[in-house]
Amino acid sequence: MAFFGPALVLLTIFLFIPMILTLIFSFTDFFALNPDITHFVGFENYSQLFHDEDFRQAFGNTVRFMLIIVPLQGLGALSLALLINKVTHCKKYFKVAFFVPVVMSLAVVSTLWIQIFSPEGILNSILGNFGIDPQPFINSASQALPSIAVMSSWQGMGYQMIIFLGGLQAINPALYEAAEMDHASGWKKFKDITLPELKPLCIFVFITITIGAFRMLVQPMIMTGGGPSHSTYTMVYDIYETGTVNWEIGLASTMSIVFAFFVMILTVIQTVVTKERGNKHADKKK
Amino acid sequence: MRRKLLAVIALMLSAVCLLTGCQTSVPSPGDIEGYDDGEEYLSIWVHTIEDTDEGWCYKESVRKFNEAYNGKYFADIEFIPRNDSGGGYSDKINASVMSGGLPDVITVDGPNIAAYAVNNIIQPLAPLTEQERSEYLASILDQGTYNGKLYALGAMESSVGLYYNKDILKSAGVTVPEADDPWTFSEFLEVLEKVKPVVAEKNGYALDMTFPVGEATIYYYAPFFWSNGGDMIDETGLVADGVFNSEKNKETVEYFKTLLDKGYMSAVPVDKLFESGRAAFKFDGAWEVNTIYTSYPDINIGVAPYIVGEDWNGERYTPTGSWAFAATSKTEKLEGATELVKWMSGAESGSLLCQKTKSLPSTYKAFEENDIFRTDENYRALYNQLSKYGHPRPKTPVYPQVSTSFQQTLENCVLSGLDIQSELNKSVERINAKLKRYTYDNE
Repeated sequence: MAFFGPALVLLTIFLFIPMILTLIFSFTDFFALNPDITHFVGFENYSQLFHDEDFRQAFGNTVRFMLIIVPLQGLGALSLALLINKVTHCKKYFKVAFFVPVVMSLAVVSTLWIQIFSPEGILNSILGNFGIDPQPFINSASQALPSIAVMSSWQGMGYQMIIFLGGLQAINPALYEAAEMDHASGWKKFKDITLPELKPLCIFVFITITIGAFRMLVQPMIMTGGGPSHSTYTMVYDIYETGTVNWEIGLASTMSIVFAFFVMILTVIQTVVTKERGNKHADKKK
Repeated sequence: MRRKLLAVIALMLSAVCLLTGCQTSVPSPGDIEGYDDGEEYLSIWVHTIEDTDEGWCYKESVRKFNEAYNGKYFADIEFIPRNDSGGGYSDKINASVMSGGLPDVITVDGPNIAAYAVNNIIQPLAPLTEQERSEYLASILDQGTYNGKLYALGAMESSVGLYYNKDILKSAGVTVPEADDPWTFSEFLEVLEKVKPVVAEKNGYALDMTFPVGEATIYYYAPFFWSNGGDMIDETGLVADGVFNSEKNKETVEYFKTLLDKGYMSAVPVDKLFESGRAAFKFDGAWEVNTIYTSYPDINIGVAPYIVGEDWNGERYTPTGSWAFAATSKTEKLEGATELVKWMSGAESGSLLCQKTKSLPSTYKAFEENDIFRTDENYRALYNQLSKYGHPRPKTPVYPQVSTSFQQTLENCVLSGLDIQSELNKSVERINAKLKRYTYDNE
């Protein structure tokens, strides 16, 4: 208890109390500039949210972002890990090289990519060499979100790559040796040994990417300000704007609760689905 | 064991209190160097860190205030950092509104004065004499006034210039009109048509213009609407319907669309278009002059009068506004707080800021004291525009929403080609949703 005590005190003050307060505030019209006139409004904030076009758009953008980044970053990290695992020379160099973007601040990475994506930037110059017209990237409502997703997955990939790499190295080499004796092809080895062995890691990796994707804020804030035409406006961005720019703490709290609830549901679904598939796979093996 | 546990918890709690900065109490004379018996203690918060030029100026002004009012007042300054969008500092203000820890004087960004006044965070200053009022530019008094009462005074003013590249205009054979006879919308289109071939050779655009997210868009382009007979919100600051979505505003948005459709501006922002000599015109803050002088000396920059709508009758219309000092409603030392506000926004402080940060001062005297406004034609033009035609941004408690809607309207209608009237109506709906809080009592 004596060891747990300090952590409990800090957690209570910085996590539990704010969580409870957020839940309470979500039923009020708490206004930061004038807390004295706070009223209890019941579910009004909740019903207002579902009619709020900005919030709905932010929600849609966040889901779209997640749908792009989860496969991109997850599979990208897995491919990198497989490649590095095969490489015999300069293994450490590649590990560090792919991990460097992870330790860089997102703000720095975003600023850097504004230049890369700019109309006269390096990416458009490269495209120009292939005879492709300059693309607007983050300046176009249709390309901004995918552009940011590509950048984000590049930035975050290294972290999941290291996790996968650890998993790959923990696989018992005897399994591969046995497969080789049975003349199994490379694909078969990957499908029947590597993937099942990495299963628990995959669940972890996909859930962390999903939650990370939902929390996206820094990239659009720095690169596009949520634009063009609100195409990169995310849920967390909406919560931030509502709470700190428009001072509506009550409404922002409601958004936070809806947001947390949604992430929770998604995580549960993801865990259940991946577990079920895993079990089916195990049954087949039997 | 139990005692040990209690001791650990007590230690942690005190550490947490230290970390979260639980309520600082008012210091007693002698606690702070320079605070002596018999002096009235005045606390002041500013929105910048100490290590910037601006922060240094505030510190210096407070030091001089303490010298000048030695034995009467003692001002204690606290520096609170803020990010670009105003967070950090405003979070601290919000938290203090709740906890009751506001100081006697705070800084407020010009467009937020109305919201702070309506919500009782700041109170009207003690009355100023006519002589004192006359020292300030009309735009600064206007910015600080809400519902007929003066709440805030700034040490700095700001303006946006319509900058032009003298060499390009010369090649195109365009002459710039006098300050009191600006180009109208249609005249400006003719000018842009003339310079278009010149900039086309340089792979550029006639206008270096974008609609950035944030405060810049309304700050730069609201004059187009004002000078064309439109506005964003009515005089009470509580009615947007029929104002924001007026026929005049629709016409102005259409004008912006023309600028894009005719190829005078780029649909995507091109970095440093004007600075690299590939654009004839650019709308930007007064700081641009200094940027060009110091970083792009090859550009021959001039300041043209801001363009106006066809029916403009000489009304005030050009951009203004900056951070100002105000007395909080918490303070019981209104006289002292007002003295501090007057000092911090006065000629001496403004002059200092102007020299250090190249910002425009807020008093006539500070302008006179700085040679730059006599010797440099560009700074002089900006000052003349500001003092004669400066117009504050919309005064409404829901200003953040008005500013956001303004930017979205231009972006959606001009760049994404959405229907103008329906976008304007949508903006009104959004603003009305935020206004509900203030109009509730009247219903």
